Amino acid sequence: MKMEDMPLSGPDNTKLEALVNDIYSELVEDACLGLCFEVHRAVKQGYFFLDETDQESMKEFEIVDQPGVDIFGQVYNQWKNKECECPNCKRLIAASRFAPHLEKCLGMGRNSSRIANRRLASNNNTSKSESDQEDNDDLNDNDWSYGAEKRGDQNSPRRSKTLKHKNGKWVRNLHPYNYNAGINYEMLGPDEVRSFLTTQCGVISEHTKKMCTRSQRCPQHTDEQRMAVRVFLLGPSAPVLPEADSVAGPESFDIPDGQALMSRLQWEDSPEISPSDSASSKASEETSGSPFPIKLRTDKEPISVSLTGTNHSDSRRPKKKKRPPLGLNSGGGIGSLSGGGGSGGSQTNISLSTKKKKPKLTAPSISSIYDDLN
Amino acid sequence: MVFINEKMNKESRLKATINQRLTELGERERLKELLRAKLTECGWKDQMKAHCKEVIREKGLEHVTVEDLVVEITPKGRALVPDSVKKELLQRIRAFLAQHAA
Repeated sequence: MKMEDMPLSGPDNTKLEALVNDIYSELVEDACLGLCFEVHRAVKQGYFFLDETDQESMKEFEIVDQPGVDIFGQVYNQWKNKECECPNCKRLIAASRFAPHLEKCLGMGRNSSRIANRRLASNNNTSKSESDQEDNDDLNDNDWSYGAEKRGDQNSPRRSKTLKHKNGKWVRNLHPYNYNAGINYEMLGPDEVRSFLTTQCGVISEHTKKMCTRSQRCPQHTDEQRMAVRVFLLGPSAPVLPEADSVAGPESFDIPDGQALMSRLQWEDSPEISPSDSASSKASEETSGSPFPIKLRTDKEPISVSLTGTNHSDSRRPKKKKRPPLGLNSGGGIGSLSGGGGSGGSQTNISLSTKKKKPKLTAPSISSIYDDLN
Repeated sequence: MVFINEKMNKESRLKATINQRLTELGERERLKELLRAKLTECGWKDQMKAHCKEVIREKGLEHVTVEDLVVEITPKGRALVPDSVKKELLQRIRAFLAQHAA
């Protein structure tokens, strides 16, 4: 807006303008005077030249006014475009993302094992949810599944079911997430496996090839089993387990099946244990109070019997899995079984020796359940 | 002559009134602060200070007086005020006048 564009009458306009200019001049002069007094005082008090030093330093810290740099002359975000090659996966990663990538890549960060587990769980879940419905039914019949809480697959079609009809009776499925309670060891990298095994049981189920995701003291598996798994997966120099001996020997059942091979890897890894078990000794837990029968198979397949008598979905996918060639582990498993349970755990004969006061299941009953299943 | 004087009286009366209003209503202070802030923002103050340093070096640190500075600084200061600042201030003054004088 120009000074002349004033909506005022002619003569008054100029006078008004003159007045405005006068006022303006006064203000400017006031500002100048203020500056003069300020400077004069600074000179007389001796602090006017305080911001100056020797010429050399002045040159060094001069204000920089170039494009692309800040006033100190530093380039902003110069590491942004740099890329580093990851020593593990040989990929080129941006510099600012390098550290988190390494964490995941090496499997050594705080969350890397958790994320890996979750990823594998969801992979397995989605790949298997369409498959054998009946098998999954067996899984879902199991109430006690602590481990499954970790892997709640929110999108699974089975999520909302609480009642299922199975074998002519309604079975309550209290924990809808208890399928897919294991990790496939083949899908984990070596570092992930190592980190996984340091915190979790890891005993591999024979027919699902999944590793038990319960804690190191999971009652379904013995320490020998765990050690054997570690030896198998990590080589002979596998780290020693936190506790060398199992708290309580595992139970073993009389299985009227000739093929009852108590290989460690055959242990079902789905964590189905009654809540009351956690307090008491795990191994000898027979799922006291478990309303579900034990599912034991008499298939040709190797038996996966839950020693603790829980409702292990031992019969999980009985038709699909073959016995993996894990002789070492089998031996170890059996040995551990025998040692722990105090029973003569032979390959074919497993005697029942429960340490619990309430032996819910006896051999005859087991066989009857067998028949039921078959 | 009388007529001119009257006119001039009128003008000076007007001016006096305006000035009085400016001060009374606090507008003068506000305008002063606004100007100072704007001048510092646009770097005018630093420029003037640099000029002061030259003057002081010229005259000698011990002997410089207020008068010296005023004489050197004021004309240059008036000239160096940026146009944008000048325009804004004029606008505000005019607005004030339009509101309180006309």
